Amino acid sequence: MTKKLTLEKRQNLIGWAILLPATLLIFIFCFYPMLQAILLSFKRGNNASERWVGFQNYTRLFKDKVFLECLFNTVFYFVIQVPIMLVLALILAQMLNNPKIKGKGIFRTMIFLPCATSLVSYSMIFKSLFASNGFINTMLSWINIAPIDWFNKTWPARFVVIIALVWRWTGYNMVFYIAGLQNIEASIYEAATIDGCGAYKKFTKITVPLLKPTILLTAIMSTSGTLQLFDESVNLTAGGPGKATMTLAHYIYSTTFENTPNFNYAAAISVFILVCISILSFIQMKVGDKRD
Amino acid sequence: MIKNKGLIASYIVLGIFSFLSVFPLYYMFCGATNPSIDIIRGKLIPGTYLLENLKTLLDNQNLLLALWNSVKNSVIVTVLTLLVCSLAGYGFEIFHDKYKDRLMSVLLIAMMLPFVATIVPLFKMFSKMHLINSTAALILPTISTPFMIMLFRQSARSFPHDIIEASRLEGLGEIRIFFTMFIPVMRSTYGAAATVTFMNAWNSYLWPKIIFQSNDSITMPMLVANLKGGYFVDYGMLMLGVLICTLPTAIIFLALQKSFANGITGAVK
Amino acid sequence: MKKLLAVALIALMALTAVFANGAKESAPAEKTNTLTVWAWDPNFNIPALLEAEKIYQETHPDFKLNIVENPSKDIEVKFVTADQAGDYSTLPDIFLMQDNSYQKFIANYPGIFTTLDNSGINFNDFAAGKSAMSTANGKHYGVPFDNGAVIMPIRTDIIAKAGLTVADFDGITWSQFFENATKVKKATGIDMLTTSGGSEIVLMILQSAGASPYVNGKVNIANNAVLEEAINIYARLIKEGLMTDYTDWDQYIASFNTGKAAGLIQGNWIISSITAAQDQSGNWAVVPLPKLDGVAGATNFSNSGGASWAVSSACKNKELAFDFLKTTLGSNTDLYDTLLVNNGVITTYLPAAKSSKYQDPVEFFGGQKVYSDIVSYANGVPNCDFGSYYNDIRSAITDAITNVVQKGADVKAEMKKAQEAVEFAIGG
Repeated sequence: MTKKLTLEKRQNLIGWAILLPATLLIFIFCFYPMLQAILLSFKRGNNASERWVGFQNYTRLFKDKVFLECLFNTVFYFVIQVPIMLVLALILAQMLNNPKIKGKGIFRTMIFLPCATSLVSYSMIFKSLFASNGFINTMLSWINIAPIDWFNKTWPARFVVIIALVWRWTGYNMVFYIAGLQNIEASIYEAATIDGCGAYKKFTKITVPLLKPTILLTAIMSTSGTLQLFDESVNLTAGGPGKATMTLAHYIYSTTFENTPNFNYAAAISVFILVCISILSFIQMKVGDKRD
Repeated sequence: MIKNKGLIASYIVLGIFSFLSVFPLYYMFCGATNPSIDIIRGKLIPGTYLLENLKTLLDNQNLLLALWNSVKNSVIVTVLTLLVCSLAGYGFEIFHDKYKDRLMSVLLIAMMLPFVATIVPLFKMFSKMHLINSTAALILPTISTPFMIMLFRQSARSFPHDIIEASRLEGLGEIRIFFTMFIPVMRSTYGAAATVTFMNAWNSYLWPKIIFQSNDSITMPMLVANLKGGYFVDYGMLMLGVLICTLPTAIIFLALQKSFANGITGAVK
Repeated sequence: MKKLLAVALIALMALTAVFANGAKESAPAEKTNTLTVWAWDPNFNIPALLEAEKIYQETHPDFKLNIVENPSKDIEVKFVTADQAGDYSTLPDIFLMQDNSYQKFIANYPGIFTTLDNSGINFNDFAAGKSAMSTANGKHYGVPFDNGAVIMPIRTDIIAKAGLTVADFDGITWSQFFENATKVKKATGIDMLTTSGGSEIVLMILQSAGASPYVNGKVNIANNAVLEEAINIYARLIKEGLMTDYTDWDQYIASFNTGKAAGLIQGNWIISSITAAQDQSGNWAVVPLPKLDGVAGATNFSNSGGASWAVSSACKNKELAFDFLKTTLGSNTDLYDTLLVNNGVITTYLPAAKSSKYQDPVEFFGGQKVYSDIVSYANGVPNCDFGSYYNDIRSAITDAITNVVQKGADVKAEMKKAQEAVEFAIGG
């Protein structure tokens, strides 16, 4: 029976075989716990007192002012920060792909450094830069702008979070673009130069379309990263002033570990995030994942 | 003339970004070489207190053990991740059909649930398997990530199929093609993937903290957290710890960045 | 081909490493002479353990402590995770926990503790307010460790410029404080106080009058007149430029280390950060915080921070853990003397506080007998009940204060909102 598989079938089997280990690991260590979290979100109580409550934990979401504020903050970060960061990363990658630029290795390493920097020092530095008597306010005073109390005011604090995010992750995304740009043959750019295309045209007509698979990847990654944002909210602003910069993931953490614990409710918030990111990624996949 | 202007503009932009990016490293360096009280008072010039800080750090914490554990864990995770995920990414793209594309979309969902939500179920699982306190519990949940699989899948899209066809005609097995053709050609992707995986593994904190219970398992991020855990913080010692914690990722990047800057262009034709 | 081999080899090695480690199981279950302890400060509570180990070894030569350093927040995360997973096997024998966390853990995770009522420790020997924090339903869950009495350290040299002395700040009321602080500001341009974290100082004032935000099983925020007064004081301090509130802890430390403020109100554990500025030696004095005017039960004393030792339910040798705690941290005054001298640990163990070491003048504070003063403050701290909701209440009050100070919101309305927020959070 199995005497001779057709070449196509054989290849198909090999395809499945080599993606099996990774897939299994994800199913066991991601989907199984995820399933438990989803089940948890439809229950209330602990151990013996556990019972099913249907969508109660979800209806609670929309009565919870803290949740709504965190949701707003998270969406705000996502909408503002992701596009700025990705465009900046693309531009930097494009510049560093120019064969005429010297010292590329050094530039690349320096721009990558922020995301390698340990969280502790990174948050310390930003806190001191934006402190009321910090460097940023000193600079503002040079151009006759009154100092801003960055961390104590709602919008300035959110602004600092976005600056910090862009600073930390632009280099990270740039790395993928640089790697991706290597797959575009230099001759295409040469031909474009001969045709008299400017830098802007090359960027929009060659780089962006050919880099689409990588852009899709980074877009999905940043979407999921921003909507699960945790580090900056906890370490940089501690969610303050009030809850003005607190993210959903931070709120989940505090309902799990800090405040009066409510694991079921925390699970419901997590599932809410899961659904949101899934929808956004689905749209991104639909738009971006086509093989030409 | 116009070209030069563009080039100069590039240098200016890159210069500004590099400066902004490097500043924290300088800040850490100043911190590591000054006594705590000077750092608190905002001194931003390198000092001469490095050896004293190093001595306090060594007296206070098991620095060498933490470094060794971090290196060991991160290298194991990186090697296994690259192997497992690149194989999968290759499989998803080179042998793609609509079922595999659908599976890929399903796998992506795995990166969309906040990690905090899965901590307790994961811990329960490893406790049942009697793997709490083991490296296995640390790495098993981290080696296969949809992001890495997708990275390799997206890159494999630009891998020339004629190379595969030619190799098949020469009678090479599929696995052989992967190891001898795909990996060398995809150096740039591997370089980027290795950097990022190493960095994530190096900086991971919450899960290792929960899974490891003894002093023998201390990693660099845990060490840094300990430095900040007391009522009184010695900032000189802290900044030195942070500097030591940052350097390895930077060095890895510096070492690997050549590989993903000179990738496919030379290899294919 | 060589590369292929190398890759395969590394992968194989990595896999072996993983599973070789996996086989390494946790410690054997039989009774041992070793106790595992989790604590967090290598300059404070860890030396206490090392010293206690040394003392206990004099009578039990084969006794050993295995001390694991974990930041206090992480200890809590690990206990929550273990409890939720129903696996206590990874927990230590003894652990240190913040006093503010005890009630929450006793109410929600009672399974992690072993009660200490059979340990032979005499809890009456500890400051009553302190041991109440780790006591619930008449059962003791913690052996009190460090003293959290609130102090108001002030710069004698700065207030002198306004013609004031330490006596002008010692045991005063808030209205007297505002008068004096304004003089200091006028004469020197320096803020009288510095603080970090908004609600902290408000909660200290609240406790100084024993006005619990949780009374008879109900949240008592909206109609808590003392809380309203405390928020008003905070808002006035900020508004009149007498105090700066730094969001960042490091900036806060810097503010008094660099002389940007003439004083602060904080738990006495802040002393190690103050004395770090050796060039200010002799220029500091310690007084208690001001008390509220015209409020029944108002005092000059409050509490902030502090921790206690607990025995976990997973403890493999409870008799040993009890005996160790009883003979060392639970009764040995010499141990506390050593800790005071070497690490600045101020005890809540009353017999230890009578030791002559506590009468020693401290040069940094101009020869003041700071330690005995702090012990006397600790004895006057009124009880303040947060139920098991310390963090929820604190978070809601922080929001209220932020809105009052930053947006000029109405205090009463914000207190009502805070009450609703806490009720919502704890209402499941």
